Amino acid sequence: MKTRTRLLLGVVLGLLTGILLGWIVLPLEYVDTDPSSLRADFRTDYVLMTGEAYEGEGDILLSQMRLAALGPQPPAEIVAQAIAYAEENDYGEADLEILNNLAIGLRSISPTAEIEAP
Amino acid sequence: MKRSPWVSTLIAFVLALVAGLYYTWIIDPVEYVDTAPDSLRDDFKSDYMALIAAAYASNGDLTRAQARLGLFSDDDPATTLAALAQQRLAEGHHESEARALAILASALGEQPTPYVQTPGAIETALAHQPSATSGAPSPHSTPRTPIFDPVPSRTPTPVSTAPFELQSREAICDPTTQQPLLQTIIYDTRGVPLPGIEVLVVWDTGQDHFFTGLKPELGLGYGDFTMSAGITYTLQIAGSSQWVTALTAEECEVDGGENSWGSWLLTFIQQSPP
Repeated sequence: MKTRTRLLLGVVLGLLTGILLGWIVLPLEYVDTDPSSLRADFRTDYVLMTGEAYEGEGDILLSQMRLAALGPQPPAEIVAQAIAYAEENDYGEADLEILNNLAIGLRSISPTAEIEAP
Repeated sequence: MKRSPWVSTLIAFVLALVAGLYYTWIIDPVEYVDTAPDSLRDDFKSDYMALIAAAYASNGDLTRAQARLGLFSDDDPATTLAALAQQRLAEGHHESEARALAILASALGEQPTPYVQTPGAIETALAHQPSATSGAPSPHSTPRTPIFDPVPSRTPTPVSTAPFELQSREAICDPTTQQPLLQTIIYDTRGVPLPGIEVLVVWDTGQDHFFTGLKPELGLGYGDFTMSAGITYTLQIAGSSQWVTALTAEECEVDGGENSWGSWLLTFIQQSPP
């Protein structure tokens, strides 16, 4: 076998093994994720919890701060996405109402009062 | 000595392996975009649990709160929440948050076997909750008949603002107590222990506060404060006008003639609203 062929074989096998190890066998483990990486159903439930808490606390700024953990999008947009997901997945009317109330509460405050994610 | 022709192949293999790992771990690592709450960083987990408690404080839906807490691999969420309440209080978080955590911890402490409430409770709760198993289809992804009845879930946690009256003040000498404690037990009008009640402690040079229910193993209406020797304390239930004065740490004699620190046990009962 020619030297060049052997080198090429080594490179190809090495790369394949590295990729196999890195992506399949020993992928990076994310154990310290943040809420922005949550799956859509968990995100929606997070927003729903924020809405439920808002119903009792009536503190829209605190709600806004909680929603900021879900990413850099405007909180109203995060809630809108949650409402869309909830509607698609047949959440109960009470839950939808809670989400809607949260969206209304967010619209009532100044858009400049947004809080950055921690 | 002639080098084996496969040595260069081996070197190429190792270099390429390193390059492959560098690419997959550094340049383009696997992205976890659909994570579950259990994978959150510890501080975000704490925030998540505090939010579960805040939602519970608002809607009183214990089944739903339990289902949400079930997303975390925690065998004893009541203790975790109670500890979290104390931690966040110490960190200066809002008191309502600590109170909500204490109330949920106490509610869970009342039910040592989570999810075993009524037949179908697990299914009912989890039907509204995301699956903890990453990659598993969400329960929301299939059309379902709404099972959750919103009306009973709106039951607020009953924390009345009626005043409290000191029922008894007892000096106790417990040799198992390492430090002198101000212990309070608070009951509502029906004699049911009340968690989440704020108690103020004031002394000459400072003040502090604690909540009942943070040690559910000692009772839902129980709360305590560690006294320092030589300081006289005054205690008040938050929002109440009655002060309990002249509370000091004193030594007492236990069986065998040895001395131990004595504690105060104060029992309050909520008065019926006028």
